Amino acid sequence: MTSNAAAAIAALQQALAAEQAAAYGYGVVGAHLSFGSAAAAAADADWVAHLRAGSELTTMISARGGQPVAAAVAYELPFPVTSAATAQQLAATMEDRVAEAYLVVVALPETGLRSFGAQQVRAAALRAAAWRGTTEAFPGMPTSSLRR
Amino acid sequence: MTEETPVEDARPGGPTGVSRRSLLVAASAALPVLLAGCKGVQALGTPPPPPPEVRALRAAIAAEELMVARYSAALTRLPASNAGLLAAVRAVQAEHAAHVGALRSRLIEPAGLPTPAAPRAPALAARSSPSGVLDGLEQAEQAASNRLLEQLAVLPPTLAQLFASIAASEATHGPFLQAQAAPA
Repeated sequence: MTSNAAAAIAALQQALAAEQAAAYGYGVVGAHLSFGSAAAAAADADWVAHLRAGSELTTMISARGGQPVAAAVAYELPFPVTSAATAQQLAATMEDRVAEAYLVVVALPETGLRSFGAQQVRAAALRAAAWRGTTEAFPGMPTSSLRR
Repeated sequence: MTEETPVEDARPGGPTGVSRRSLLVAASAALPVLLAGCKGVQALGTPPPPPPEVRALRAAIAAEELMVARYSAALTRLPASNAGLLAAVRAVQAEHAAHVGALRSRLIEPAGLPTPAAPRAPALAARSSPSGVLDGLEQAEQAASNRLLEQLAVLPPTLAQLFASIAASEATHGPFLQAQAAPA
């Protein structure tokens, strides 16, 4: 396997792990939103989007000869989720992490993967902005120097 | 190139010691020689065209400056009574200004080049209603976002990441502003 192919699989694995964590997190988010509310419907739709993306990544990793990472049974939450407000905060935080993971895919040399990664960064940024109610200048960029 | 790395170039193993910088210079310097083959001696006098990533970066800077100008124009068209919407528009404009700054920091221009004129705000006469202004901004954001993503293939990795991040930011602006304009 070339180093480019190995780097592609490693980046896709990171994205898959972020998607799996997000899918788990949306279960927690949904549990804190009132049943039948618009927010609960949005959490459902986003949960499905992460499941689909995870499944797409699994296929891509297998097609490249990699062994897709298995999802954990449970994930440690970045902060306690005790209310609808903290649940929405968790959703936004998870989307940030997903965007960050896909930006690693954007750095790969393969054009198709760059484009795929960029579309997913955009999708995660849209979901994060909807949950947060504000936008960001540099979604997914980890360096503090770029954050406002 | 050889002045910079004489020892490495002399090795039989090849240019392993050649810095990335000198390779980039070498790549762009190769072009006028090819042109000279087709066009004669006169072509040697023209500077080589900038590499594609430099052109993409300059275009992205110009596009972001144009977005800042669009928002300035939009601010004059929106009702002063809607303070929340105006604040949101200013916040988005500030993000475009941040995009300009981040992109500019990646561009190293040789000294002595003329500074390009600041873009003029596009005419908004046909879209004077608040919802028309916001729709126009949303379309411009979407188009700018798509243009950035079309450039990804020619960019070095970290610049591709910056373009993708800015494209994602721009995609969020339209829905955000429409949500601010909607009655709560």
